[in-house]
Amino acid sequence: MSSPPTVPLRPLVRSRHREFLVVGSILGLLAVGFPLSNAHGWMDDFTITLWGKYLCYALLAVSVDLLWGYTGLLSLGQALFFSLGGYMFGMYLMLQIGMLGSYAKSGQNPNGLPDFMVFLGHTFLPAFWRPFQSFSFAVSMVFVLPGLLALVFGFLAFRSRIKGVYFSILTQALTYGAALMFFRNDFTMGGNNGFTDFKFILGHSLVEKGSGPATMRGLFVVTAVLLLLVCLGCHWLNGTKFGLVRQAIRDGENRVLFSGYATANYKLFVFVAAAMIAAVGGALFVPQAGIINPDQMTPDKSIEAVIWVAVGGRGTLIGPIIGAIGVNALKSWATHAYPDSWLIILGLISLMVVMFLPGGVVSLPARLAELWRRRRPATAPATGVTKPAPDRA
Amino acid sequence: MSWNSIFRPLLRALVVGIGLLASGRAWAASESPRATIVRAILTTDDTQKRDLIGSLVGQGDEAIREIFTAWREDDLFVYTAPDGTKIPVELTGTKNSAGAQTAVRVDNGESLQDATGHALPLAAAKLTAVGHDARLRLAMKNVVDLLDLGSPLLAKRLRAIQTIGAAQKADKIPVLEARGRVETEPKAKDALRAAIAVIELADPSDDVKLKGLAELRELHPASCYDLIKVARDKAETAAQPAVAKAATAALAAIDQHKAVVNFYGTLFRGLSAGSILLVVALGLAITFGLMGVINMAHGEMITVGAYATYITQHIFGEGMNFTIPFVRLAIHLPGMHLTGWGYQMFFVAAIPAGFLSAALVGVALERSVIRFLYRRPLDSLLATWGVSLILQQLFKLTFGSNNVDVATPVYLSSNWTIYDVTFDWNRVFVIGFAILIVLGVWLALTKTPLGLLIRCVMQNRTMAACMGVRTERVNMLTFGLGSGLAGLAGVFVSQLGTVGPSMGQEYIVDSFMTVVVGGVGSIFGTVVSALGIGLSDQSLQQILLNPVLGKILVLLAIILFLQWRPTGLFAAKSRSLD
Amino acid sequence: MRSSFSKLFTTGVLALGLGSGLARAADDTVKVGILHDLSGTMAISETSLRDILLFTFDEINAKGGVMGKKIVPVIEDPGSDWPTFAEKAKVLLEQEKVAVTFGCWTSVSRKSCLPVYEKDNGLLFYPVQYEGEEESQNVCYTAEAVNQQAIPAVDYFIAQGKKKFYLLGTDYVYPQTTNLVLLEYLRSKGVPLANIGGGFKKDETGKIISAGKYTPFGHKDYQQIVAEIKDFSASGDACVISTLNGDTNPPFFKEYAAAGLTADTCPVVSYSIAEDEFRSLPAKDLVGQVGCWTYFMSIDTDANKTFLANFQTWLSATKADGVVKEGRVVDSPMVLSYDGVYLWKACVEKAGTFDVDAVRKVWKAGVSFDGPGGKVTTQPNMHLTKTVYIGESKADGQFKILKSFPDVYGEPHLKGTFKAAN
Repeated sequence: MSSPPTVPLRPLVRSRHREFLVVGSILGLLAVGFPLSNAHGWMDDFTITLWGKYLCYALLAVSVDLLWGYTGLLSLGQALFFSLGGYMFGMYLMLQIGMLGSYAKSGQNPNGLPDFMVFLGHTFLPAFWRPFQSFSFAVSMVFVLPGLLALVFGFLAFRSRIKGVYFSILTQALTYGAALMFFRNDFTMGGNNGFTDFKFILGHSLVEKGSGPATMRGLFVVTAVLLLLVCLGCHWLNGTKFGLVRQAIRDGENRVLFSGYATANYKLFVFVAAAMIAAVGGALFVPQAGIINPDQMTPDKSIEAVIWVAVGGRGTLIGPIIGAIGVNALKSWATHAYPDSWLIILGLISLMVVMFLPGGVVSLPARLAELWRRRRPATAPATGVTKPAPDRA
Repeated sequence: MSWNSIFRPLLRALVVGIGLLASGRAWAASESPRATIVRAILTTDDTQKRDLIGSLVGQGDEAIREIFTAWREDDLFVYTAPDGTKIPVELTGTKNSAGAQTAVRVDNGESLQDATGHALPLAAAKLTAVGHDARLRLAMKNVVDLLDLGSPLLAKRLRAIQTIGAAQKADKIPVLEARGRVETEPKAKDALRAAIAVIELADPSDDVKLKGLAELRELHPASCYDLIKVARDKAETAAQPAVAKAATAALAAIDQHKAVVNFYGTLFRGLSAGSILLVVALGLAITFGLMGVINMAHGEMITVGAYATYITQHIFGEGMNFTIPFVRLAIHLPGMHLTGWGYQMFFVAAIPAGFLSAALVGVALERSVIRFLYRRPLDSLLATWGVSLILQQLFKLTFGSNNVDVATPVYLSSNWTIYDVTFDWNRVFVIGFAILIVLGVWLALTKTPLGLLIRCVMQNRTMAACMGVRTERVNMLTFGLGSGLAGLAGVFVSQLGTVGPSMGQEYIVDSFMTVVVGGVGSIFGTVVSALGIGLSDQSLQQILLNPVLGKILVLLAIILFLQWRPTGLFAAKSRSLD
Repeated sequence: MRSSFSKLFTTGVLALGLGSGLARAADDTVKVGILHDLSGTMAISETSLRDILLFTFDEINAKGGVMGKKIVPVIEDPGSDWPTFAEKAKVLLEQEKVAVTFGCWTSVSRKSCLPVYEKDNGLLFYPVQYEGEEESQNVCYTAEAVNQQAIPAVDYFIAQGKKKFYLLGTDYVYPQTTNLVLLEYLRSKGVPLANIGGGFKKDETGKIISAGKYTPFGHKDYQQIVAEIKDFSASGDACVISTLNGDTNPPFFKEYAAAGLTADTCPVVSYSIAEDEFRSLPAKDLVGQVGCWTYFMSIDTDANKTFLANFQTWLSATKADGVVKEGRVVDSPMVLSYDGVYLWKACVEKAGTFDVDAVRKVWKAGVSFDGPGGKVTTQPNMHLTKTVYIGESKADGQFKILKSFPDVYGEPHLKGTFKAAN
């Protein structure tokens, strides 16, 4: 089998510095503008939380793009890392509920266990839950656990030179297996219900009428700033030799290998970094969405994230962000206006983008400009669909 | 209580019944069974109803079974004649245009006639069915069971013997012994001995108990396990060490027997699970293994096959209507209104229908999408995932979001029990069928000119094109073949599981894993890996007593296995890079 | 590029704005939310709840509405995606400002949007049998509590002389909790542990904390489990208590029938199979299996017949999108949705306002409605007192009613109520 040639990507902005400036200023604007207008009552609480969620998805999309767009690894495991990050942080949030859960209120839960454990007949907290009382431990686990899993899995996979579609299928299996694991109630991670009903984060209320919206604003700012930092990191990486080797791996791994680079190490680094970025997205997603459960770690969710990137534009900085926000905003609208057709719309989008717009939305202006250019010379109409020029009619 | 009310008449009738069963002489009574049943139907008193039915115990008339079956399935109705007499009837046969069926009188088994002597068909919708409840059905079952003691069918005899034994009534020993003298089938003979032995456990005398236990130890019937345990516990509390010891020995013998049965049962279940996996993955072994296309819509090809079965079933029956969404094209498929064996053949017709319809969808998919993506496998993954979403939603809008019911034909709905291991016919059929299609695919790929073309195009598309092979056509046909095989899989899984818009999704991860483990491009590898995965999955379930953990472990094992052998079990050797 | 991005940005903002612009209620109308999955895995069950709600609204509107105001439904589809439930609940409460919401099926969806209802002080009517152990002041549980479904069915089997009970369910919170309660209940009835099948789970100290065999959602292969049941029921006095979720029932029952098990030898009571689910099952092989609900379509009363006839008339006349017209049945969750709307109407009219606190107060004081399944009465603990029916399935997919228990008080907290007798 010959190695798959990547789609020629036509970056919208030739200069990558200009691209970063655009991304940076938009994100900066979001990080400042949204919370301000929310605090002044120009934007309702609902919208800012919704956009906070979109930005978490954008983090996930950036991690997918890092792997797929820049390194040529189509991982179907990013939803797993996203959810793992969410679960790690969720454990902290669950323990923060403490005596405010419905069992504790009725006095059946003197140890302040999360409600779902009382459901399952537990009377004391399992040992592996206990350290999650600490915020800093939970935050470090958001990085450590997904990072470790990615390290082990990636090491084994890249060492055996598993690549291309095999890598996709294997990560899909990993995700599927993990989802089955988390669905089990015996796993004491909440089973199908997952974690819900969070009350506090670092002492700030998530639900109260007065302070809740302020907490949400804070979370929004953190998300936007982190996304900005991740973009900055990616931007910096793209300029380094490392970034160039990485893109060379995407375009022709064997040549890079024969030039003396240990490609496995490069891929492993990117895989672990992407896992951690996705995990951060997940950790921030949980308090803003108010729930994490195993449905979020199915292979389908991973593919959905890949579709966002494809729609926005793979191999660009801004593409995944546009894709994640755009597709999810479309979803919010379509599930209200055309509930019966949403899946068809999503399916059509992924089909159309892959077939006709491999560069995503960001390549659209360039594509149009090219079509326009091709149409102008009277000698050769580019395709059959272009209208004949007036003077030839 | 209820048991009493059932057994009193039962015992009463038994005394008479023994004579019949032992000697086979005709039963002479004042009232025919049919007349008794009519009285039972017409009485409103539930207790009397059960007593009347109980009085039929020991009767040998096969009509009883037929009437009871109709009663249980709500085919019995009470017809009120113009003169006010109530006549119980059974409605049978096909419905005419007015929805009426032939009415057969319960009292004489002849068809109901009106005053002028013409047959009078009745519509079920205009009558009320004769009611029944669990206790009444139990009473009927007891009658049928004893009827079954003399039944020519072994399975029925066995069930009847067990039921009598489990009741542990000493007065039934004579009837069992009498049957034992004329019984020729060894299995039934053993069952009779076990039934007698288990009745002996309830005997007050220790010697009789020990005799029974020795017999049970030799016969090790699983059905008596609980009763032996009860006997052991009683013996222990009553300080009868000999009996307790004998009971423990009998239990150990049964346990050992169970272990053997479980071993072979697991082997069979593993084979059948593997065969299903094989049937499901074989199409993928062609589209993915040979062609290198990641078809995420493979699951939907399975769904197409399953819905094709559903539609075929309705065409053989009453016909069906559905509307194609968006274009709002209403489709009416007329039914053939077949019954009996004609109707049962729908499944046979569904096999080619499932194959062809999925193959057609596959060809359409190849022509419209996949042929542009042969050199971009990762993109084909995304595009076909989109196709799979669209197809799922289209199924949902066409056939409704509910799962649909695909009937099981009679020739697939029973089982053989050999040495207590159950072999379901549908599972045996799947295993047989898997062998057939693997053989068929192997022959098609290695012994036909088309197979030669397929293999050469898959090995080197450009070279084949240079040699004048019409690669486009070969691609299309190969993809059609792969999709058609998925459709066939759909026909079979419709017999085993849910048929609904998203059913295909359940199979997609499993099938990809099977193909990858087997070694991409190797049909033989797919066979080995499917059977291997099926067997290990079932054995782990048996060992861990947990259906999920086994599956997770198998997935983990597969992931680790692929680190060790990234190309799978039987990879095609190649010198090309990548 | 900037132009394309801003275009998308505006589409997004517009998209969000559009939702709020579509259904602005006029003065003589009241907005009511419907929050049921119309796509994704749960659409199988929930689409019919949307249909019955639309029917009920039309029926009420035709009679003059609620306090003279016509009900305007606001339909949101969370697409079987649980975080979306919270998002859509916010849309309904904060943007649409609906007076009440009828919605949710799965426990996880209820848990997902519950914090939103508590935060914004909204009112959610929940119509599907559930695990209990919850008593939110912002949810009206028209659903069956465990003591209104699971326990009567077990009593019935005990009365039938069954001695062995095999607990089987899908691995989620409803089966887990129900089996936990049933384990306590069976022990309190003197059933020894050896006669409870499916396995036990113990905690670190060796105490039994739950019972039953659990399979994941979408499980297909019940060979091993049916073999176990066959072995368990070899003595002939066993039954199966099944809390298997909809999708897994066809493979289970097909395997069960193929292995030669029948309702006469080892009956199954299924808490998740009502008439609607029955349409995908081989009814002929399942004659005599038991169901336990607050409503069966076969209830022989005039009220029920009128209700069924009206629903059929509405179905053939309605122009609402996506309503399937052929082969429709009605089942307990649908009727509890219907009852819920009328109870809400009664509460509103008694309170004289749509205000949630006032409506809740009336609910707690007790309001009754004569529904198709008999009288339902609201309770102070936000649940309903209702009639419970036990039925056995017939070859045509309907249930024959065997027994009914009038006025069963809904009791959400059952864990720890029953003490073992041995």
